[in-house]
Amino acid sequence: MRSPFRPDSLPDPAILDNHRPLINSLERRGLLRGGLSLGALVMLTGCDVKRPEAVKSALLAISRLNDDVQALLFNPNKLAPTYPASMILRPPKFNAYYDVMNVKPVDGATWRLEVSGLVADKRPWTVQDLQALPQSSMVIRHICVEGWSYIGGWSGPTLRSFLEHVGADLRARYVAFRTADDYPSSIDMATALHPQTLLATAYGGDTLTDPFGYPVRLRMSTKLGYKNPKWITAIEVTNTYPGGFWEAKGFPWFAGL
Amino acid sequence: MTRAAPLRLLIWAGSVAAAIASAHAQSPTPGGMPPPPGMSLAASTAMRFPQPVRVGDLVGRDVLRPVESQDVLGRVRRIVRDHNGRIMVVVDFGGFLGFGARPIVVPIDAMVLLGQDMEIVAYTPQQLRAFPTFSGAGVSDAAGDTVIKVGLAKPSH
Amino acid sequence: MHWVNVAVMLVMITSGWGIYDDDVIVRGFHFSPFWRLGDWAAWSLNWHFAGMWFLVINGLFYLGYGFATGRFREKLLPIRPAEIVRTVVDTLHLKIAHEDITVYNAVQKLLYIIVILAGIAQVVTGIAIWKPVQFSGLVSLLGGFQTARVLHFAGMTVIVGFLIIHVTLALFVPKTLWAMLTGGPKLKPRTRVEGGHAT
Repeated sequence: MRSPFRPDSLPDPAILDNHRPLINSLERRGLLRGGLSLGALVMLTGCDVKRPEAVKSALLAISRLNDDVQALLFNPNKLAPTYPASMILRPPKFNAYYDVMNVKPVDGATWRLEVSGLVADKRPWTVQDLQALPQSSMVIRHICVEGWSYIGGWSGPTLRSFLEHVGADLRARYVAFRTADDYPSSIDMATALHPQTLLATAYGGDTLTDPFGYPVRLRMSTKLGYKNPKWITAIEVTNTYPGGFWEAKGFPWFAGL
Repeated sequence: MTRAAPLRLLIWAGSVAAAIASAHAQSPTPGGMPPPPGMSLAASTAMRFPQPVRVGDLVGRDVLRPVESQDVLGRVRRIVRDHNGRIMVVVDFGGFLGFGARPIVVPIDAMVLLGQDMEIVAYTPQQLRAFPTFSGAGVSDAAGDTVIKVGLAKPSH
Repeated sequence: MHWVNVAVMLVMITSGWGIYDDDVIVRGFHFSPFWRLGDWAAWSLNWHFAGMWFLVINGLFYLGYGFATGRFREKLLPIRPAEIVRTVVDTLHLKIAHEDITVYNAVQKLLYIIVILAGIAQVVTGIAIWKPVQFSGLVSLLGGFQTARVLHFAGMTVIVGFLIIHVTLALFVPKTLWAMLTGGPKLKPRTRVEGGHAT
């Protein structure tokens, strides 16, 4: 019998190939050692916890394994459910790693988007340049790793159209982001090319406001909230794992929905 | 943390009831901070990037305490203007699951938006308990499509 | 297998509480740090997604063994309502028979079936809230993302409720503890059929 958990269409096998170096780069020894010590730990219900750092590295090794499983589960053609515009929460829910009072607004007139890495055209972008690209809209559920969610309506060019426009190497592994609030982030290329991955410049039909990432932020229907950096200032296409703000503190990198 | 794990698991097996008893221990949180001492409510709202919101979209929202356990303080019943034209929120305050609540009037600048909910950041539950019960006198309803500006907060945990 | 299960269940439950606390489901109720596994949410999450593998692997072995050997059918069925009532009344009078601990009474059968179903439900609701886009059909079947999340929490409370009853009753009948520790008495199939309760 066909499993009800299997996606309707299987992921492109190319994803596995694309991630082969990542999979190979996994610290096998660390994973083995980590898995064994975690297994021992689980069986002894925490009797061997004199070295909490060893436990954490074991958990991180399993988390990286889970990242690979998630990449395999990701179907590049599967669209997230969308909702009517009447369900959009206005204004959206604010979150950051700091209090809202510490938001530093960005001046859209002087703002420039740096482009670097495996791209043909490294010319910086203005707000008007982004507006000149074909625009997309989506009303999707924003899901935070904390558990809360809301329906949001986002518009802007797809990241795919931006990457095609700058002549990015679409076989590269990662797209990395730098932001005005010092919140580095990165995603896999398969997700970057998903039709519901936008460089959002508007919410609910209006220009993004300061606390929500004006002039441009990432919005993906297929990843948890913390993977969507606000106030983006630079985009890099790379094959070197760029990491991210929360990822460096322990959260999983792939974070796919 | 992991050092305490065996002890924790041992005690866990015996007395989950104690967890429920200790469930109300609170920790200070970075979200929904109260206004700094001496600052006016209006000035503190101005620092919270007030966003436009329809009055009609606020009615019925849960009003929470800005703490990790997200205690429900009450529910938004009406948005009104006082005799000075200031926007005030009539909150069905207290009670349990809506029973035994009484209406009190809270200035909009003492409150913030937290997603689909609101929080009262400028007053503690003790202070709110001393608020007089709202009589309905001297105020007028703000129309549902009136757009007002309300400050933001991040989740507390 | 039972004790691997115990350890993994405790990991899943206490790390789940750590994740829960980031955005409570029952307003006004959170778990104090003492009850959480993981320094903060990221580590609770990592524990949860590590424990997941052990639980699923162990669970598959357990279910496979239970069905393949006919153990479930033999030990858990049938359940008669009258028998449940009688056992509950007996238990409340602190008459816990258990002459033959290889034969489950009606309440035990019912509780074991409930907890096995709750365990399966946790996997299904867990997959729904882990991958709500890839398995969006499953999420809408469950009534939406937030409903699936509440169901996942409810499944936890069922399992914790079972554990409380299970451990309390096992403590009342000390000889079962030895069986739990060693994996159960080895008896010939025939003696099982001759056991005290009608099965």
